[in-house]
Amino acid sequence: MPLTLLECDIPIPERERHTYIKKSGEDIVPLANVQTTPGDLTERGCTYAGCMGVVGGPVKDVIHLIHGPIGCAYYTWGGGRRQNLSDNPEFHRKYCFSTSMQEPNVIFGGEKKLYNAILEAYERFPAVNGVFVYATCVIGLIGDDINTVCKNAAKEIGVPVIPFSCEGFRGVSQSLGHHIANDGIFDKIVGTKEPDKVTPYDINIIGDYNIQGDLWIIEPLFEAMGLRILCTFTGNASINDLAVAHRAKLNVMHCQRSTPYICELMEEKYELPYMPVSLFGITQTSKALRDVAAFFGLVDKAEEVIEEEVSKILPEIEYYKEQLRGKRVFIYQGAPRAWHWIKLMEELGMEVIGAATAFGHTDDYEKIIERIGDGALVIDNPNSVELREILLGYKPDLFISGLKEKFLAYKLGVPFVNGHSYERGPYAVYSGFVKFAKDIHTTINHPAWKLIEGRA
Amino acid sequence: MTQTTAKAKTETKAKAKAKRSVTINPGMICQPIGAMQAVLGVHGAISLVHGSQGCAAYPMRMFNRHFQEPVEIALSSLGEDAAVFGGADNLIKGVHALVARRQPELIAVLTTCLSETIGDDVDGILRKIDLPTTPVPMHTPSYIGSHVTGYDNALKALVTHLAEQTGPNSKINIAVGLLNPGDIRELKGMLAAIRVKAIILTDISETLDAPLILPRPRFPDGGTTLAEIADTANSIGSIALCKHAGGSAVKYLTGKHKVPMITGACPIGVANTDRFLENVSHLSGRPIPDELRKERGRLIDAMIDVHFKIAQKRVAIHADPDVASGMARFVHELGMMPAIIATGTESKEFVADVQAVASQTGHEIDIISGCDLYELHEAVKAVGVDLVMGNSQAAYIGDDEKTAFARIGFPVYDRVGYQRRAIIGYGGGINLVDRITNAILDHADSA
Repeated sequence: MPLTLLECDIPIPERERHTYIKKSGEDIVPLANVQTTPGDLTERGCTYAGCMGVVGGPVKDVIHLIHGPIGCAYYTWGGGRRQNLSDNPEFHRKYCFSTSMQEPNVIFGGEKKLYNAILEAYERFPAVNGVFVYATCVIGLIGDDINTVCKNAAKEIGVPVIPFSCEGFRGVSQSLGHHIANDGIFDKIVGTKEPDKVTPYDINIIGDYNIQGDLWIIEPLFEAMGLRILCTFTGNASINDLAVAHRAKLNVMHCQRSTPYICELMEEKYELPYMPVSLFGITQTSKALRDVAAFFGLVDKAEEVIEEEVSKILPEIEYYKEQLRGKRVFIYQGAPRAWHWIKLMEELGMEVIGAATAFGHTDDYEKIIERIGDGALVIDNPNSVELREILLGYKPDLFISGLKEKFLAYKLGVPFVNGHSYERGPYAVYSGFVKFAKDIHTTINHPAWKLIEGRA
Repeated sequence: MTQTTAKAKTETKAKAKAKRSVTINPGMICQPIGAMQAVLGVHGAISLVHGSQGCAAYPMRMFNRHFQEPVEIALSSLGEDAAVFGGADNLIKGVHALVARRQPELIAVLTTCLSETIGDDVDGILRKIDLPTTPVPMHTPSYIGSHVTGYDNALKALVTHLAEQTGPNSKINIAVGLLNPGDIRELKGMLAAIRVKAIILTDISETLDAPLILPRPRFPDGGTTLAEIADTANSIGSIALCKHAGGSAVKYLTGKHKVPMITGACPIGVANTDRFLENVSHLSGRPIPDELRKERGRLIDAMIDVHFKIAQKRVAIHADPDVASGMARFVHELGMMPAIIATGTESKEFVADVQAVASQTGHEIDIISGCDLYELHEAVKAVGVDLVMGNSQAAYIGDDEKTAFARIGFPVYDRVGYQRRAIIGYGGGINLVDRITNAILDHADSA
């Protein structure tokens, strides 16, 4: 089947190029990573969201100072919102820093205010190891030279002050923001320090943001194989960990949309190879452990770890598989989880009938199409009108998406799991897989759905 | 103490505040989100934000978390080209696409810091759009004011564009402000008891607290209709519950359509609710019925029941200006001490309102306008309190200072049910008595 136009999209026919019904043997990929159609009821975020909210924000021991009017700072302020955890909760995500630009600052420029703000923030929180400065929309328009301000401020306070020009309008989605954060961290932090010691078994875990503690169940698996984790990018990361990341022997890359940039840069400059992995579900996690172990000649250790971990969860997974067999799922995620989880759903006996991403690129859709079954819907950057049509038309037993879509699903009577920040996670690797399965089982079988008036 | 004391303290605070360039843990959000809340209370209306992706996505998420409801916000999707060449094409295309796909009864076009700085002439662009219903422009750049002024601007824009004199209607306009579905239900209950017909500006009681019944309507049921907004020009009077968020709209109706207005304190607690009901009674010529006298009696009964549990406790409150000043008086009525009354939005009127409470009640109140939570925390450390009240973002202050903490304001996302329960009216007062007392008891039990 070719590209298709949903009924609700008849007035904006350009959406056809983003909407594909999979058929094996065809060489079609929906259009991705382009500007959202004006007037769209979009679910996407902006460049700043990708830079600060996703990649920069998890760094636990720097002041994240948002240079711009107040809103953007407020919206990314901790409160468990993104749930990327760190072991520094007394500071990290608890505090939100902004220059809160007012009209006169916009007219006359905000450089002085930014400089003063950096100094004042540092004066109040001198235990931090750096300052990240994020420019929002207005800053790019009025032309504040944030690079120079950051340089001067760094001289004054004696810790790194890193500028990110991540104005929301710059890119078409969060995606460019990921790239800007990768570049900024690589250019200004990676390689600025040397580790206390190095071992032949040092790895970095790149592209995991420790959502509800994912990293804290991922790391022990690698450590059990005899590896040492030098740096995590950027879940629970210290700026000092990022500074020594270049001395690892391998970058293990989990989120393959937000972090290939830094992996490629490190490979080029430091000849540090990287390995893309998927750390969700039994098959993919086991493959990841085997691949990484093979790189270090630790295959036997990997098999031991895999056997022990799988035997721990298999009975429960078998139970859920029995319960969930044949259930139909629609997955809408940022990007990589849409394809990471197709295999995982199959492991639970479920069928993925549709997949979508908010900011995926062509290569994400290639991976989705490679994994998904014939007849499944693949749609790029779906909006709330399309989601409604899909949920009502395809009637999935489960919708996996994020907070902005959660209450739409509920209001349409569709069981839902939040795949962005999780429900009762973490969901990664083996023990997380059980939690994921349990949450899926819980929502699909919840008795309240049957009480809804008018639900078929 | 005296009014002078309160005043002197305020000035010192204002000076200290002016020195700081960095805002730490903000006490306010930006204008567009306030405007969106006003528009969400209009039946069949959709906000179209003239800005970049985050300008729609972020506020949606805040609403989702606080109201636990789906929210639709459209976007003109300004990118790098628009930043250079202007966003007119995006805006025109966006309005047409939104009309074609959703057929909203009203489109509110909200400006942002981005579109205002680019310099798009939004009013001019919209005038040229040929559609049965003209989109309503709302100027809400994030570098001016706060979510409170955003709401105020939006409500004023709605009545400016829609209100039309056609003939007397014997209704009262009530501008609600940034309150919750539970508050509006409480308000409607009071008005029904007095048998007054009212136009609620704007009514989120159903649109942001919709029942789960299938099939889901194309737009949530409820909300203020466009016909009702048009009819506000013909009402016998207007009351703004929150003068900072809705005051400009009722002023406009007075100036343009000679609709008398009464502004009073937000009806939180006994005296403020008494005053509100007197105003409604005065405007409508209808007596306050027994039903409300009994509800008042139940509130007083609740206050007396708990008075040994909470009397003399020192309280710090951070909320939007009218809620905070309303709470200052109620805290006094509860026999507690309003030690710090703070708001994130800069406002001289707020300072004057709380000073009036201070001078009438004799309390020494630390009044802070334009207050971020860092400053609130510093003030709490300086003067010492037993109870902190604020939104979910402020909960850490209670934890850090080992005081009781009770939630009030927006957003509240770390406990359920806040948006369903009123804080206004006698019924809302009873809810607050319970919430405050239980917070203090829970804290004592866990200590």
